[in-house]
Amino acid sequence: MASVIRPTLLRQAFAAPSKRVLSTSTIASSAFKSSTLSSRRPLQSALAQDALPKSARIAAFHGTGSRMILPPLPQRIQGTVNDPASVPDPTPAHGSYHWTFERIVAAGLVPLTIAPFAAGSLNPLTDATLCALVLIHSHIGFESIIIDYVPTHRMPGVRKLFMWGLKLATLLVGVGLYEFETNDVGVTEAVKRIWKA
Amino acid sequence: MPHSADKRGSFTRLEARLRLRRPHQQLQRSNLQERARSPGIQDLHNQRARPEKGSKIKTFHIYRWNPDEPTQKPRMQSYTLDLNKTGPMMLDALIRIKNEVDPTLTFRRSCREGICGSCAMNIDGINTLACLCRIPTDTKKASRIYPLPHTYVVKDLVPDLTQFYKQYRSIKPYLQRSTPPPDGREYRQSKAERKKLDGLYECILCACCSTSCPSYWWNSEEYLGPAVLLQSYRWIADSRDEKKAERKDALNNSMSLYRCHTILNCSRTCPKGLNPALAIAEIKKSMAFT
Repeated sequence: MASVIRPTLLRQAFAAPSKRVLSTSTIASSAFKSSTLSSRRPLQSALAQDALPKSARIAAFHGTGSRMILPPLPQRIQGTVNDPASVPDPTPAHGSYHWTFERIVAAGLVPLTIAPFAAGSLNPLTDATLCALVLIHSHIGFESIIIDYVPTHRMPGVRKLFMWGLKLATLLVGVGLYEFETNDVGVTEAVKRIWKA
Repeated sequence: MPHSADKRGSFTRLEARLRLRRPHQQLQRSNLQERARSPGIQDLHNQRARPEKGSKIKTFHIYRWNPDEPTQKPRMQSYTLDLNKTGPMMLDALIRIKNEVDPTLTFRRSCREGICGSCAMNIDGINTLACLCRIPTDTKKASRIYPLPHTYVVKDLVPDLTQFYKQYRSIKPYLQRSTPPPDGREYRQSKAERKKLDGLYECILCACCSTSCPSYWWNSEEYLGPAVLLQSYRWIADSRDEKKAERKDALNNSMSLYRCHTILNCSRTCPKGLNPALAIAEIKKSMAFT
C-alpha cells in the first residue's frame, strides 16, 4: 500500500513542497523543510522552477527514464463519508442469472465427468455436451479473472482487448473441439487412448 | 447460527469478567503514577538496558509513517516492553508504548473491549482488534503490527476508511417501510424472525473482514466487501423491512455482490466471531432463482 503512495508523495514533495496535500501543520512542515532539506536546497530550487515541465522534473529523479505505462490514480478517496458510493443499475444477466447459470454448468460437469468411467466411452451426443460445458465453464472462469484483475475504471481499453481476446480464444477452442468430435475420435475416447498408451 | 450466537455471548461475558478481575484501568492508573513518581526517559532507557530478573521482555515492530514527512519511507520501528508490567492485550502494549516510550505513535482506540471497532489493525499477519488480541507470551518472537492492509494510511496505524463508510451508506442501512405498523404502535417481530438477525446485528464495522478480502483489495471501488454485504443481508433478512426487492436489485450486477469468490478470509478473521461469508451466500441463494 505504502509503496504505492510513495512515488506520488515524493513527486509532490520535491515539485512543490508548499502544495502538499497531506501536511497537517504548516509550522511543522516549514520546520521540516528548513532543518532536513537545507542541504538539498540548491537541487530543489533548481527543480522547482515552474518553467520546467512536470515530466522533466520527475524524470530528473529516476535513473532510467520513467515510462508512464499505468500512471497512479490520485491517492485519495473522492468525496466524504456522507456521500454514498454509487449504486449500479440492476443487470441480472451479469448478476443473479449469470451466477445461477454458472452453478448449473459447474454442477452439470460432475456427472458428465463421472459418466465415461461408468459407461466406458460415451456416445457422441454426451461427449459433445461435456465438451460444450467445459468450454462454457472455462470461458466463465477466465471472464471472472479478467473482471477481477483488469478493472474497467482503471484501464477500459485493456479490458476490452482482453474480453475480445477471450471471446476469440473460446471460439477457436470451440471450432477445434467441433472438428475433433466430428472428424476424429472425440474427447473421452482420446483420453482413454492416452491413458492406455 | 443461534447456537454459535449463544457461544459468542458467553464468550464476551467471560471476557468481561476476566477484565473485572484484572482491571485495565488500574493498570493504566498505576502506569501514570509510576510516571508521576519518578522515572524520566533516561531511567526508562536504563531499565531497558539492564532488565530486572524474571522480566519478560517482548519486542514489538510497529509500522510508522508520518504524512508531515512525505519524503521518508514508511518504516518499522521496534519497541521493547516488559510483559510483567503490561496488560494482557495488544492495545495495552500500544497504550503503554504511547504513554511511556513514544508519544508520537498514532493509533485509533476507544472502548478497549471489542465494541467500538476503532483499534482494528493487522497484528502478526491477522486483521483483528488490538483490544481483543492477547499478546503472545513467547518473548523470543517479536510481534509485528501494521495498519489494515490495502487501505490508504493516514498516519502510522490509522487507515483511511472513507470508501468503506461510503459503501455502507450506499446500502441504506436503516429500516425502510411504506406501510404503517398494523397496530399503529410498533413493528412487531416473532421470536423466529428476530432470531434471523442473530449473527448479523453484532457487527461493529471494524473493517477487519473487508480489508482481509483479496477481492476487496483489487476492486474496492465497486465490490462492496464482506462487512457491507453482511449489513445488507441484515436488512434483507429483517422481517420488518419492506424494500427487500430494491435492496437485492442494488446488488444485482457483476461487481457489487458477485466479486465474492468464497475465499472465506472474512469469516476466519472476524474478531467478533461472525460469519460474513455465510451472509453473502444467503444473499446469493435468495437471488439465485428470481
